[in-house]
Amino acid sequence: MTVLKLDAVRGLALCVDANGTRSTVETALVEPVARGDRLLVHAGTAIAGLTRGAP
Amino acid sequence: MRFVDEFRDAELGRVVGHEILSLIEPGRHYKFMEVCGGHTHSIYKYGIDDLLPANVELVHGPGCPVCVIPMGRVDDGIALAHQDGVIFTCFGDMMRVPGSEGSLLDAKAAGADVRMVYSPLDALRMAKRNPDRQVIFFAIGFETTAPSTALTLKRARAEGVANFSCMCSHVTIVPPLRALLESPDLRLDGFIGPGHVSTIVGARPFEFIPADYGKPVVIAGFEPLDILQAISMILRQRSGGRCEVENQYTRVVPYEGNLRALEVMAEVFELRPHFEWRGLGFISHSGLKLSEAYADLDAERRFGVPGVRVADPKACQCGEVLKGVIKPWECKVFGTACTPERPIGTCMVSSEGACAAYYNFGRFAREREVV
Repeated sequence: MTVLKLDAVRGLALCVDANGTRSTVETALVEPVARGDRLLVHAGTAIAGLTRGAP
Repeated sequence: MRFVDEFRDAELGRVVGHEILSLIEPGRHYKFMEVCGGHTHSIYKYGIDDLLPANVELVHGPGCPVCVIPMGRVDDGIALAHQDGVIFTCFGDMMRVPGSEGSLLDAKAAGADVRMVYSPLDALRMAKRNPDRQVIFFAIGFETTAPSTALTLKRARAEGVANFSCMCSHVTIVPPLRALLESPDLRLDGFIGPGHVSTIVGARPFEFIPADYGKPVVIAGFEPLDILQAISMILRQRSGGRCEVENQYTRVVPYEGNLRALEVMAEVFELRPHFEWRGLGFISHSGLKLSEAYADLDAERRFGVPGVRVADPKACQCGEVLKGVIKPWECKVFGTACTPERPIGTCMVSSEGACAAYYNFGRFAREREVV
């Protein structure tokens, strides 16, 4: 999912998935997070940032 | 889309397919277990088993979170859902898992307030919107999902949400793998390691598999090229005389895992002495419960549950499917009495269940082969 907006105080981000669905995501496990970051989200929690290489 | 399209590239798939062909010894049969239900789903969705040479067999493991929940736990959830003033929340798949007298969906039809959520955070939000009701979240899943529950419980504590609690049925991946490796039923040549669990726990917990059992492990992503490449990497280890844990899914899996997630899990959970797995029986130190520090948010303590052990239905062979002893279509009730619409066993419920994945993506092709 891609980060659209951050609520740094509450540790939450508004994210959008590839289908355009928006949801609130916990970011505590992957901070710091910036707008536009791609995150791997599982059950409402970002568990990893998608930052590393392609094949 | 970046991180997806490049891992579905047909030309690269052909290249890896040729690599696999070049690495196998003719006349030898290879049996690899994909541990995670997400891999099982991808294998059937993308027809990966059809791409492989006939002597490379994929066996499905116990890594589907919904599939491993025993009937007694579903009954406990239903008992909580029927309590006065309770809103019982769970993931969508969990609503259809049969207990001894129906599913949570049946309980909802009978008047219990059971609601589907996408995350524990949704359940907490529901608790805040309904301060006069008790909101219980039925937490299931492996280490991938457990941090999400842990963070929500910490948030409930921090925000003082007193009407929220959790029925914890989280499980851990290593104990069932150890149990499988000790099982005489199964002769495996290697493991495709669980990608998203490893995002949390890292690669280290799997080192016992090559060290103690002499089997290679390659942690893999969930796109078709990820899985094909993992198979090629396992074969390369075998042909090169190596046996170790390798990480194919480096774009999200650090070798040491997610330390913050492990910390929050250690704070909120503790291991149960035993936990019952559907079809696999009781496995020591394989389930999580809330730690003493979070005991006041434990729905089982707040309300009490029957906690009765219920045997799996006689017709159901989920245990053998979860252990990789039989293929989904070899179960007596597969596709006849047990379908995704009317499941008898858990493996037919979740899209990550081997039976549901096979039924949805492969059944008709195999029927044509038989005819």
